[in-house]
Amino acid sequence: MSLKRINKELADLGRDPPSSCSAGPVGDDLYHWQASIMGPPDSPYAGGVFFLSIHFPTDYPFKPPKIAFTTKIYHPNINGNGNICLDILKDQWSPALTISKVLLSICSLLTDANPDDPLVPEIAHIYKQDRAKYEATAKEWTKKYAV
Amino acid sequence: MSDIESDFEYEDDFEGSEDGLYESEDDSQSLVPTQEDNYLRGEYNNLEYYPWTIKPFIRYNFQDKIASVRNHIPLATVDEALILLQYKKWQPDEVINAYFDKPQELLNACGLPAIGTSNNQFETVKKFECSICCEKFRTTRVYSLTCKHKYCLDCYMRYIQSSIQSGNLIKCMSTKCSYVVPHSDIDKIIGNKEENQLLLAHARAFIDASSKFKWCPSTDCQGFTEIIKSNGYESDLDSSDISKVPIVSCVDRHEFCFNCNYENHLPCPCWIVKLWIKKCQDDSETANWIEANTHSCPKCDSSIEKNGGCNHMTCKKCSHQFCWICLGSWKEHNRDYFKCNKFKESKSIEERKNKSKLSLQRYLHFYKRFAIHESSMKGDLRTLAIIHEITRMYMEKRKNQEQNLSWNDIQFLPDAIRGLIVGRKTLKWTYCFAYYLSKSNFAQIFESNQDFLNKTVEDLSELFEKLISKDNKDNVVDIILKEKNKIINLSELIMTRKRTLVSGTILNVQQDLLRFEA
Repeated sequence: MSLKRINKELADLGRDPPSSCSAGPVGDDLYHWQASIMGPPDSPYAGGVFFLSIHFPTDYPFKPPKIAFTTKIYHPNINGNGNICLDILKDQWSPALTISKVLLSICSLLTDANPDDPLVPEIAHIYKQDRAKYEATAKEWTKKYAV
Repeated sequence: MSDIESDFEYEDDFEGSEDGLYESEDDSQSLVPTQEDNYLRGEYNNLEYYPWTIKPFIRYNFQDKIASVRNHIPLATVDEALILLQYKKWQPDEVINAYFDKPQELLNACGLPAIGTSNNQFETVKKFECSICCEKFRTTRVYSLTCKHKYCLDCYMRYIQSSIQSGNLIKCMSTKCSYVVPHSDIDKIIGNKEENQLLLAHARAFIDASSKFKWCPSTDCQGFTEIIKSNGYESDLDSSDISKVPIVSCVDRHEFCFNCNYENHLPCPCWIVKLWIKKCQDDSETANWIEANTHSCPKCDSSIEKNGGCNHMTCKKCSHQFCWICLGSWKEHNRDYFKCNKFKESKSIEERKNKSKLSLQRYLHFYKRFAIHESSMKGDLRTLAIIHEITRMYMEKRKNQEQNLSWNDIQFLPDAIRGLIVGRKTLKWTYCFAYYLSKSNFAQIFESNQDFLNKTVEDLSELFEKLISKDNKDNVVDIILKEKNKIINLSELIMTRKRTLVSGTILNVQQDLLRFEA
């Protein structure tokens, strides 16, 4: 039954695509998608395009999808492996959430990081202590890896 | 070992009733530890503990508090009281205070509408598209909470099944909607008529998270034990002191160590057990071959697989009698000076040169005995299961006929069986103990105690095995009754020898008369 739901989400994305992101299956396997997010204009990631991999569990949508960045990104809530620390991907997941809503949440995480619940404490520390340095490094990484 | 062993307990059915969780508490009063005399005490120390099963635990710790909440908030249903209590971690006073202080805040946090206004509905609807599974139904059953977010029952069922294990309250599936699905509706949705599944899951999570409780490690055993007074281990349960090894038992009387969460390993202290288990894992490759289940007959070389518990073997081909452990002839074996348990260090010069080889041999010597007793225990259990079944059938058959024989006449069997199993378990761990023991006169005393226990255990095991040999097939019960005194005596001897061995060892370790090389 999760296939029907995934197909529906795919159709909805095609009919009404969000402005700053896109997503779709990698190959024939509907349970494995690739997505891309454009760096939000009001953030140090502006101008970059970030790729993510999406794996749907077989009991989707009752369990959250597994989403990770495949493009390197300098962010207090995203680690070197691309794992994202976001509540709706963990205990705050709801079966009514969709990939499109999750990608939008990731976009807003890029604009507003959550340094109080960091995945990479070093970056969170710099984010809080020296915001200019954080923005410079994030811009540099974006230029290096995401353009 | 759990299955069979617990089968034998005709006498005390601890948990008793199979009634649902909402049954009245009258019959359960005696099951809850309201008084100190209900606590059990450790056999060798001052430990106090209480063995539980989940249903009385829920009744005592959770269910009784519902009444207290409903007394103060009379309009609250059982479901509402449960949700409020679960949110406030089972503190009725906090629920009541919070309710009279800031009712709206409490209710919002719990995902409840105003008390008495819940409007949760199961209904059948036509032309419905469920936004979760994206199925379009002509007619289907849907469920909604007070928020009126409707989803099909199938989705609700999968949703609950995938999240119930955590034991947390389950919310409406809609994003950011915080209304909570009541416990009784959860059981209705997943089709469970008797038990409060969420409360069970919640209780399990509660027990897992508390250091006061440990589940019984026996296979398939549902019991768990609460430690009441831990006799000086509150801090870290570090039991380097052998007299403090926290041996507790569950409702099925499986003994286990509260510290290691491993079966009763006395006379070994916990730290030795850890070393031994690690060593056995590390050396498992080498030990694997010796653990193999077959031996060849020392006389005629035909392969023999041991299928019972007793180590006195008789070859079916050549009738040679030998000991499974040392492969020596059984004739010499029965003489008292024969020591099958002692490791005789070989004096040959070559082997002395090769110290590492000797140490491996030494390890294998003890490991082999440790492992054999473990597998013998399984053999014993098979034998005993057969005896149990035979007596049960016999009693059934005799029920209708005029017979003087009653259950009382074979009540000694469960105790004898327990004696055999307990004795074997202690025996098993004495080999781990002996491996780390340094040589001394006291070590010799230990070894002779070990020999005594070994002899008695083997005797009883052999007796049981004889009972079910093919020749006796038709009159097993008669023979059991004939051998009754012998069985009782042997099992009591095992218990006495086990006690002597364990308490003597504890004392000698405490007084530093027995030392370890590790």
